[in-house]
Amino acid sequence: MKPKQLIWLRRISQGFFLVLFLLLLIQTRFPDAAYQEYSLAVTGEQDIRVGYPATFFFQLDPLIWLTSLLSGHVWIQGFFWAVAALLLTLFLGRFFCGFVCPLGTIHHMVGVVRPALKGKALIKANQKRGSQKIKYFLLVAVLVSALVGLNIVGILDPISLLFRSLALAVFPAVGNGIKAACDVIAASDIKPFNLLGYAAEEIASPIFGYGYPAFQTGWLIGALFLVILFLNRIRPRFWCRTLCPLGALFGVLSRFSMVRLEKKPEACTDCQKCALACQGAASPGPGVDWDTSECLLCFNCFARCPEDALTFRFRWFPAQNRGPDMGRRAVLAGLLAGVSIPFLGRLDGQIHKVSDPRLIRPPGAVEERDFLRLCQRCGLCMKVCPTNVINPALAEAGMAGFWTPTLTMTLGYCEYTCTLCGSVCPTGAIAEISGKEKVERPIRIGSAYLDRGRCLPWSGNGPCIVCEEHCPTSPKAIYLRLDVQTRQDGAKVTVQLPYVDLKRCVGCGICENKCPVKGRPAIRVMAAGETRSVRNQILLDI
Amino acid sequence: MDDPITRREAIKKGLCLSGSLALACAAGWPVHAPSEAWALKKEEGFLIEGVGQAPGYSVQELTEKVFDAAGGMKRFVSKGDVVVVKPNISWARAPNLAASTNPEVLEAVIHLAFNAGAKKVRIADNTIHNAERCFALTGAGMVAKKTGADLIHPRSSLMRDMKMQGHRLDIWPVFVPLIEADKVINLPVAKVHGLCELTLGMKNWIGGVGGRRNALHQDIHQSIVDLARFFRPTVTLIDAIRIMVKNGPSGGSEADVAVMNRLILSNDAVAADARAAGLFHVAPASVGYMVLAEKQGLGSLDMSAVTLKEVIL
Repeated sequence: MKPKQLIWLRRISQGFFLVLFLLLLIQTRFPDAAYQEYSLAVTGEQDIRVGYPATFFFQLDPLIWLTSLLSGHVWIQGFFWAVAALLLTLFLGRFFCGFVCPLGTIHHMVGVVRPALKGKALIKANQKRGSQKIKYFLLVAVLVSALVGLNIVGILDPISLLFRSLALAVFPAVGNGIKAACDVIAASDIKPFNLLGYAAEEIASPIFGYGYPAFQTGWLIGALFLVILFLNRIRPRFWCRTLCPLGALFGVLSRFSMVRLEKKPEACTDCQKCALACQGAASPGPGVDWDTSECLLCFNCFARCPEDALTFRFRWFPAQNRGPDMGRRAVLAGLLAGVSIPFLGRLDGQIHKVSDPRLIRPPGAVEERDFLRLCQRCGLCMKVCPTNVINPALAEAGMAGFWTPTLTMTLGYCEYTCTLCGSVCPTGAIAEISGKEKVERPIRIGSAYLDRGRCLPWSGNGPCIVCEEHCPTSPKAIYLRLDVQTRQDGAKVTVQLPYVDLKRCVGCGICENKCPVKGRPAIRVMAAGETRSVRNQILLDI
Repeated sequence: MDDPITRREAIKKGLCLSGSLALACAAGWPVHAPSEAWALKKEEGFLIEGVGQAPGYSVQELTEKVFDAAGGMKRFVSKGDVVVVKPNISWARAPNLAASTNPEVLEAVIHLAFNAGAKKVRIADNTIHNAERCFALTGAGMVAKKTGADLIHPRSSLMRDMKMQGHRLDIWPVFVPLIEADKVINLPVAKVHGLCELTLGMKNWIGGVGGRRNALHQDIHQSIVDLARFFRPTVTLIDAIRIMVKNGPSGGSEADVAVMNRLILSNDAVAADARAAGLFHVAPASVGYMVLAEKQGLGSLDMSAVTLKEVIL
């Protein structure tokens, strides 16, 4: 194949996978088709599912497969895609980075559309440097950490990182901007403007979400994403070269790659055009060995070389490439970090002693220690949740659980029969359950308790039964008792006082969400009583 | 038109014409409005109760028969009207749990409205649960697709502050589609409720507003009456095919449901509610908002004030 064709093949592939990633991200939501299925409405027994393979990229990512296996001893669904990616890497090198990875493509685009460096500075930036070992350090650290029992790869894994950044920061930010604009236009009294506002909203809402989606720490996720994008101004594809643990894994495996860059030093005029275009700082120029493990297979050097001094060829075994330049220190430091992180993460006592009462995991979540072995912090459950209740944890889950999902009832509530979050979890940290199972077992995510000092009827401030009205269980977990209260002026009034029956409460949080006392509602949900934990029970018989 | 008219003449004629038009309008305007109000007051109240007794009867047919007994949908809907149907689809529950308006009734009403010449039929309810899930689980989404009615997604841009001029509610955000309609059909489901005993037709208007709805419970009866006065539907059809007899208004179990196979159609919102209260063996005089509504002139609790008809299938 001619070099130009190869470049176009790469671009098409990159574009395809980026679009696919975005499409799947947008479709990770309550499906439109569910509005219209008659059978769903009539029986109510069928569970509503996302109609797209939302987890495809997560199945394709070997780091997610490996860490789930090492840490949680689980073969995740669709892991053969990851195995295939690994096997292909053995033969083709880091094709994933150059042809598939959507985050890599975004970096590539940023670097090409707005190059920060030119000429000599760019050539200098594209030289291989010691800092590229950092990614091996990170790879070893996350793998060892997973083995010891804490899976933190999701913070750095490119697929998780991209999904989280787009779904929890970029899309909500853009969407909220569009929605705010639509609201302004729709409020106009001029009919055409008015209709335009409504129409724009109809189009934007399925993509960016209905209402105003919000995620705690969304600003931090967005800021980090911006920083990562800005790193491309220091060096092209800074992230891929220096930090990406997945790239490191592919780098290690590409040692035996059959796609090899062959150099003809005698033809080289030292024009440095290859170094100008190299995406991976993989030493394409003459005089040094080509770094297979750094090469992102962008084929730029091949296409740019005016003297045909560089060609990519298939070479069968046992031709060996230069090994990855991992560095002993990077590996040792990775080992050390990997062993210490899980223990450091336990120092706050979250896992062994108590858990935060506000750490409410999604329905179907496995027991906390297993959860931290499996959760990739990717944000799929948060994106798909129709009520926006699932949020990335800040401190609720301790240091070890940063950005893992927790339910914030002031933002939403858990719909009684909804089981979407478990159906899209790529690793099974949230098990896929049926609506029937959720209701009949029942699966509790916590339990509600009353704050009588804030509650309107309990505090003598007026009638209110909002929590009881919304309680979804049958019979209701929140029940009312008539009581006679004496007002300040001495008048006797009959009020209905709410009580919580812990045996019935599932912790869905709609009471907290709808309570007229805002900010710190008069009825709140805490994790105690959650089905997934044996230790976190309240009642003796349940 | 052989003689061309001069500019002066043209201006003169134009002034005369516009002057007489303005005079006619000025004369007609004040007469026009009260005459309409007068007509409204004089409209005779009716209440039609449809009962499906035959096993396997068709809910659609019952709905049609009930409207026929009132003189047909054409009595309420004129050609080219934008009709808004306000069901109660607030809870994301399957129809068999009676937490929401029966989709078969909803479908039948929309068909009737279209057949009567409605230009557009919209389904509008500001749901309590997540709207998308409500549309899916209650069957309203399916009905919209089948009938070609528009399903309005409740959202902040569709809420507008309006002057209610009620005894309790003054300025409150209102769900715009219910206001921007030629005709409004109230289509609630009959359920029990922890605070106001029953949720029927008038209580359904809580789903017509936005804002701090959960604060309305602090004076629920007057709030309901204020809302009922503000919205004043063309006609109310209470779905009592299945009713929720306990654990309302959310229910969640078939054990909370009683099958009544009844529909109650009335142009008197109070009478409709009072009639439906009978299905729960509740005396209308014991329900706060019904008594208030009658007192404040919204309708009559007394069945003798309306023309009663029964349709049996």
